Amino acid sequence: MSGLWAIVALTIFPGGLFLLAGGLAYEWADRKLLALLQNRVGPRWFQPLADTVKLLAKEEIIPDKANKLLYIGLPVVALAGGLTAALYVPMAGINPAYGFPGDLIVTLYLLSLLTLCIGLAGTNTLDRFSMIGATRTLTQVFSYEAPFLLALLVPAVAAGSWQIGTIATYAESHWLILAQPLGFIVALIGLMGKLEMPPFDAPEAHTEISAGALTEYSGRGLALFHLARAVELIIGLTLVAAIYLGGVSNPLWFLVKTLALLLAVAGIQSLFTRLRIDQTVGLWWRYGTILVLVQWLVLILLKRI
Amino acid sequence: MTANREPERFTISMGPQHPALKEPGSFQFTVDGEIVTKAYVRLGYAHRGIEKAAEQRNWIQDLYLLERICGICSHIHATAYCLAAEQLAHVEAPARAQAIRVLVAELERIHSHFLWIGVSAHEAGFDTLFMYSWRDRETVMDLLEKLTGNRVNYSANVLGGVKFDIDREQTAAILAGIDFLEERARHYFDVLTKDTMFLQRTRGIAVMSRTQAEVMGAIGPTARASNVARDVRVESPYAAYKQYPVTMALDTRGDLEARFVVRVNELFESFRLIRQILASLPEGELAARFPRRVPAGEVVMRVEAPRGELYYFIKSNGTDRPERLKVRTPTICNMTSVIKLAVGHQLADVPMILAGIDPCFSCNDRTVQLKDAGNGNSSLMTWENLRKHGIEHYARLNK
Repeated sequence: MSGLWAIVALTIFPGGLFLLAGGLAYEWADRKLLALLQNRVGPRWFQPLADTVKLLAKEEIIPDKANKLLYIGLPVVALAGGLTAALYVPMAGINPAYGFPGDLIVTLYLLSLLTLCIGLAGTNTLDRFSMIGATRTLTQVFSYEAPFLLALLVPAVAAGSWQIGTIATYAESHWLILAQPLGFIVALIGLMGKLEMPPFDAPEAHTEISAGALTEYSGRGLALFHLARAVELIIGLTLVAAIYLGGVSNPLWFLVKTLALLLAVAGIQSLFTRLRIDQTVGLWWRYGTILVLVQWLVLILLKRI
Repeated sequence: MTANREPERFTISMGPQHPALKEPGSFQFTVDGEIVTKAYVRLGYAHRGIEKAAEQRNWIQDLYLLERICGICSHIHATAYCLAAEQLAHVEAPARAQAIRVLVAELERIHSHFLWIGVSAHEAGFDTLFMYSWRDRETVMDLLEKLTGNRVNYSANVLGGVKFDIDREQTAAILAGIDFLEERARHYFDVLTKDTMFLQRTRGIAVMSRTQAEVMGAIGPTARASNVARDVRVESPYAAYKQYPVTMALDTRGDLEARFVVRVNELFESFRLIRQILASLPEGELAARFPRRVPAGEVVMRVEAPRGELYYFIKSNGTDRPERLKVRTPTICNMTSVIKLAVGHQLADVPMILAGIDPCFSCNDRTVQLKDAGNGNSSLMTWENLRKHGIEHYARLNK
């Protein structure tokens, strides 16, 4: 029976199909909200799915002198990372499918796989835009990853556990956004950095370097990267909502809280000008890290008392 | 690709096809990390042979042709051509026609500057401003359509005057539209000068001193942002600018922010001017009679396009077509400054620096430089050579 459950968990819920569908739906919601905020019409509800199907059906062109194995394998690894991460997160308000002490760290690193894969994919081709994009992607990882990680560890310490399920249960009785507002801000903006959303879209600033690291990708590889990003969007939102916004104890709360977060994210995207890569790094190390360290200090002092 | 792979030299080529460029132009930037160390431009991808074509059409047909040099500042091209031809033919357009020309020119300036705010914001990655400014730009497009029947290529001019009159209803519509746009321009002025994130991308970037601007021959708003007081509307007023004088918008800082400030201030000046013209539109005819054949002679005409000084030279030999017609658009004069200023800046600033001059590639392309893809040899082709090359090329293809 547990074997059957494992297969369901991997392929239908919370991993697999549910995650892909949810990711695409959230990607649509994000695009639609952003469009409405920018006074545009925005895409139809099935547009992300249609894009994916179209890309999957297209020919994949592998550039000369690129390592074929890496070129084909990296998008798969990126998507697999996202799909695996979902198993430890309370998707849709249901308890995580799996869990062990310390799965928070594993999940965060699984989510980082996408960025690493994009960086590697960029350096794998000889294209100039890809190279610059990859350099920027990897530079950006080093700037937001540490503050983001620290911001999600503050609640873990408060809850006394590094297991997402336990933290989420603890969070249901403690709205950590009120206790740790700084950590919440850093976590939410860190998530945007992770997803390379504006204003942190320097790695794929299309007016400078076309599509950045993914310039040479087409067809299946590009579709998988897009899917991986969509999946990461929904997982990231769930994670932040579960930890900071009083947990996601049932599907309704899950929907309300993640969509509220998405609205905030769309608002931030529409408000700001793209940061140059040096400004991104400066922002994270000058303000992001300091904010989250202050949060840590407050936590340590309170715990003492 | 392989030619650029020398050690310590990493060249990025933007164009002829690149998302930052809405028209073809080729830029090569050698970068050290993110810093541009060398910049090179190659133009001529959108050469359409308009000058040659103008020599083969008569004076009236040329009006339609020349209006199509630029899709954004189409009216000013036609105006420059009309004024030059009228000067050659010793025809004076009636005062009412001249005032309407200026009116449409100022509406066009508003439309061009709103467009530019959007384009530059987009290059900086601030798409919200892009969408909003283009939405507001629709107002002035609608006004132009109401006046002339067209959103672009208004075809307002005829040789010797203008085609249409302005009635009371149109006046009211323009005034209402201008009020709305002025309020919006005020808002954008606030955004462009107060939004911290946006200022990070414009303040102190691509600073061009007054001397630099003069040496590099910058013109138009780009030069005025570096405190070079040059504006044809002020220096040598044409059409009705004598009756409706313009105050020049100047800024001393010379950076990208200054270019935004200057252009938005020009918007305010245009609003003022349009109100003034509508309040005191002279009565009279719309067009004077223009001869089929224009007496022999040469003429130089300078007008102020939204992007800077537009220069026309026309030579007539007394027939019904011009013997030679030369157009110099503002972009070509400002292009040097892009190449100079890009060096030392970050790659991320380059699209902004380029957009800062409000480039218009297809307008400025007057020549084609052919480069052999195999060996990189370049040569300029004469008309005869080009014709021969074309014939041989297609003969080879058909074999």
